[in-house]
Amino acid sequence: MNNRPVLEAKDLKVAYGGNLALDLPHLAVRERELVGVVGANGAGKSTLVNGLVGWSRGTPKISGKVLLDGRDISGLPTHERVRSGLLLIPEGKLVFTQMTVEENLSSTSDETDLGQGRRRYSTDEVYGLFPRLHERRHHLGSQLSGGERQMLGIARALRLGPRALLLDEPSIGLAPRLVSTVLDTVRSLVDSGLTVLLVEQNVRAAIEVVDRLVLLERGRIIAEGPAADMRDDPRIAEAYLGAHVA
Amino acid sequence: MNLTQQLVNGIVLGHAYALIAIGWTVLLGVARLVNFGHGQMYMLGAFVTWYGVSRLGLPYIVSIPFAMLAGVAVGFIMQRVMLRLTLKQDLVSIMIVTLGFGYVLHGAAALTFGSTGQILETPLSTQDIYWGDLWFTYQDIAIVIVAILFFAALKYTIDRTRIGRLARMVAEDPQLAALAGINVKRVYFGVFAFEGAAVALAAALVAPRTPILTSMGFDEVIVTFVVVVLGGIGSVTGSYLAGLALGLFTAFFGAFVSPAYATAAAFAVLIAVLVVRPGGLAVSPGGR
Repeated sequence: MNNRPVLEAKDLKVAYGGNLALDLPHLAVRERELVGVVGANGAGKSTLVNGLVGWSRGTPKISGKVLLDGRDISGLPTHERVRSGLLLIPEGKLVFTQMTVEENLSSTSDETDLGQGRRRYSTDEVYGLFPRLHERRHHLGSQLSGGERQMLGIARALRLGPRALLLDEPSIGLAPRLVSTVLDTVRSLVDSGLTVLLVEQNVRAAIEVVDRLVLLERGRIIAEGPAADMRDDPRIAEAYLGAHVA
Repeated sequence: MNLTQQLVNGIVLGHAYALIAIGWTVLLGVARLVNFGHGQMYMLGAFVTWYGVSRLGLPYIVSIPFAMLAGVAVGFIMQRVMLRLTLKQDLVSIMIVTLGFGYVLHGAAALTFGSTGQILETPLSTQDIYWGDLWFTYQDIAIVIVAILFFAALKYTIDRTRIGRLARMVAEDPQLAALAGINVKRVYFGVFAFEGAAVALAAALVAPRTPILTSMGFDEVIVTFVVVVLGGIGSVTGSYLAGLALGLFTAFFGAFVSPAYATAAAFAVLIAVLVVRPGGLAVSPGGR
């Protein structure tokens, strides 16, 4: 990991109908870093990753700056931020259910020169990472289990050549064994050069794989630091790890 | 009564219906949008072809792409005007705006081409073919062949090409498509342009069968509506089959009962089908 931020947010604010859902003075994710964002329901975790990529299923008002490799991408529409290398795997519906696994993994862009620090994974590579997807390659997205959809979501993002990956609650609805499989895969992707911001409600699982943890509450960062230190933070330990701190 | 002649009539009419409806099928399937100005776009396609052939002296084969270009331009302008409504999927406003567009097109066409009926005569429509008791024209053959080739090419494009895949992604979930790096606005523009070109092609081929008037368009919208709904919204194969079925039904109903009630009867069938199969007669539920 080096100290150069790949992804940076400055004064990022997201409001829904006049209600401020996120107020983030500064957040940086460095090269080859896995940063976890945790917090209770409604803390603004999904709003954060959606705001970074300028995307929402609602109609929020977003202000502030988002920098990718120092380049201000705040003025770009979502699809161009994606093409710049900032990829979001959203919570909930994350694959095209009426298309086969193979079609989901087919390229949506014909760009060959992706630029600095980016590499488009080949179909064989993603099948290597997720052999289950290879077995299910002719099945429709709607026929996949929750875990398989999560794998397909990650695999699809890798096919687009991410510079930074934003993952929104990948553990939701998954069996505990699958949660660790998915998070271990994310960790291995970071170790092989990817930069990831992981939103996760399962703090116990997330803290095992992340480098740094950010705690959100009511749309604001109330604590952040290396995962090892944050494990002992009473706000994390008591509320999310079930430990009693005297 | 010559049943074989009715079969021929029905096949030709069915392919004409399918061809008129295909633009709307794609519009509804990909963009989840409706265009009640579709009939007037058909009228415009017919008149632009007529203008090319009769006034500019262009060969018929050149007038067809000329009309298609005009259709693309109209589709493009409509989408530009309605972009915000399109992205919000505001169907009620879109219905009203497209209906209004239809009337604007009608007025503009009447001003430009006059209100009197015209005959779009082509080298194919004037050549009759007699085969035993059967009668048809080269224009009829052209309609059937072009419709089959057009539907086959469209089916291939949607199922097998990158453009088709992008369109299907936008059709399923435009917001998720944006997260896949797809420029959704551009896809919507492409779909409207396609609709304009497709309906103009249909008009250039089908309109020579009857006199053309700037007031026409309503029947074409009704036919399109029945074909698209009966075929299963957005289903290319379904639209082809529904168009063919409607053509055969209209021809035989017209021959056995009365052509005057054919549209009413077609709607009665549509209602019955939708009661039994609410998704229409599509081959598959997500049907392409």
